[in-house]
Amino acid sequence: MIAEISDLQFSYGPIKALDGISLNLTEGAVGLLGPNGAGKSTLLRILLGFLAPQHGRGRVLGFDIRLEQARIRRHVGYMPEDDCLIPGMDAVTFTAHFGELSGMPRQEAMKRAHDVLFYVGLGESRYRFLETYSAGMKQRLKLAQAIVHDPKLLFLDEPTSNLDPQGRREILELIQDISSKKDIQVLICSHILSDIESVCSEVVILNKGRLAAQGKLSELRELQYRLYEIRIKGEGEGFTAKIKALGCRVEETEDKLLKVYVPTETDIREIFRAAEEEKSQVRHFVRSRTSLEDLFARAVGVD
Amino acid sequence: MTIREKGYAHWDGQLRERRFPWAPITWLGIRLAFKKKYFKFIIFSSLVPAVVFLVGIYISERIEDFQYMFKGNKQILEVNPAYFKTYLSGDFLLFMMVMIMVVSGAGLISDDLKHNSLQLYFARPLSKSGYLLGKANVIVFFLLLLTLVPGLVFIIFKLLFAGDFRFLASYPWLPLSVIGYSLFVTGFFCSYTLLFSSLSKNRRYVSILIFAVYLFSDILFGFFYENYKNPAFALLSLKANLQQVGSWFFRLKPAYAVPWYWSLLILLAFGIAASIVLNRKVRGVEVVR
Repeated sequence: MIAEISDLQFSYGPIKALDGISLNLTEGAVGLLGPNGAGKSTLLRILLGFLAPQHGRGRVLGFDIRLEQARIRRHVGYMPEDDCLIPGMDAVTFTAHFGELSGMPRQEAMKRAHDVLFYVGLGESRYRFLETYSAGMKQRLKLAQAIVHDPKLLFLDEPTSNLDPQGRREILELIQDISSKKDIQVLICSHILSDIESVCSEVVILNKGRLAAQGKLSELRELQYRLYEIRIKGEGEGFTAKIKALGCRVEETEDKLLKVYVPTETDIREIFRAAEEEKSQVRHFVRSRTSLEDLFARAVGVD
Repeated sequence: MTIREKGYAHWDGQLRERRFPWAPITWLGIRLAFKKKYFKFIIFSSLVPAVVFLVGIYISERIEDFQYMFKGNKQILEVNPAYFKTYLSGDFLLFMMVMIMVVSGAGLISDDLKHNSLQLYFARPLSKSGYLLGKANVIVFFLLLLTLVPGLVFIIFKLLFAGDFRFLASYPWLPLSVIGYSLFVTGFFCSYTLLFSSLSKNRRYVSILIFAVYLFSDILFGFFYENYKNPAFALLSLKANLQQVGSWFFRLKPAYAVPWYWSLLILLAFGIAASIVLNRKVRGVEVVR
């Protein structure tokens, strides 16, 4: 268990940022999702030990989030969203400096800085001044400083923001490598749902300070609803109305393809019966894989 | 550029709890200062008065050999508390200290604010006071190098040149005065520099503020003093206040007929205000977005 929190509450004055959140984060890569103001940042701050919750308790890597904040930060790596650097120095000095601040001896930190810079693909440019780095290089540098002290848990805040498709793919590849083969647990906070989908096995969705959904992606897809793609011949307004009455959510694409979210308790044959009653001819009926986007939209109650 | 030119390997060492978690910040700050343009020139220029005063101490002990230079006026090279006070609160040294703060101290916090690196520091097992202490110690290092180190070296060399302890017997409190005043000036200038450094993300603007406030306060004092001849206007000048407090440390009559403790109060109030602002500014930064 990388983190367990129960009944966490936190308010900024009258505004409740977190309202009774209970979570158990298991090993592997976990995606943290939610619209703006959902409480993601506050939850990250509490998990990193920057804020003490007003109510509730929790542990990160076995350390109490109220009492052992410094210990949490010693064993956790953090890659912030914004570009951050210290001007006037090269990548090796920068990375080693943060290794030292985490508690590594100076020489070890320096040696390790070289290793992680090679790992993230900055080996050739590790002696260049940071001001001359491109956006992609800065992103890798942030990852390097986050893993220099070999953390047990890595918090990544929007790790692929400001990257071109190639850079994004490479960073995701690194994250995947770290989380799947290197025994480092990863918590990714991102708005790019496809990134989360490609890297994480588990997601946590927050909405208005509450937990909207949590679990393995595969299980969440299965449990909540099934998605079917249906194409019918002719006008299908009556058919659509009928299946909506059955509790299905229907979305129509530009090429008249119906995406039907069928609740688990609904019998699929009801859809065919509805088509027969409306004299609609079903031309296409395929079980589709629900995307994280669908899951997210349902969890936070938006289309 | 290829990804994973080298595979990731776990580090088999043990992360340790540092006794001084701020130490890496200080050493990095000192190293970066020496990389700055003109900094070496400024620091070595600042040490010139120390060399001159040291030579003065030597001459004071061999005054007979240098009679022809002074034409019988021995008073000029009498090594006493005033000699130390003249060095430690001299216009040139104070000015050079401000120059060092401009070059090495202006960017200490403002660069971190500009480049969002505060969140990286606080994602480490480092408290806010640890961070501020690490930054402050960069200035402490350079200023003590110009005040405390020469001050103590003067005393040691005075004893060495004299070959006896009569000097120390006459002024047994002098080492404490040197230490006390050096720490006071350094502490004040630390809070002064960090305050301005935390006010802006622009290092140049901070540099101008550090320099201008020091200079302007002195100009203001000069203007009012010349026009109204009231020594109380000395309280407007940072330099004059430091010199007034220096007089107390060295048991001398203050240069201006204003109680020294008023100057002390003004400087302490400045320091307290600086720590309040620093506390708010550093806390006010978003750590995680």
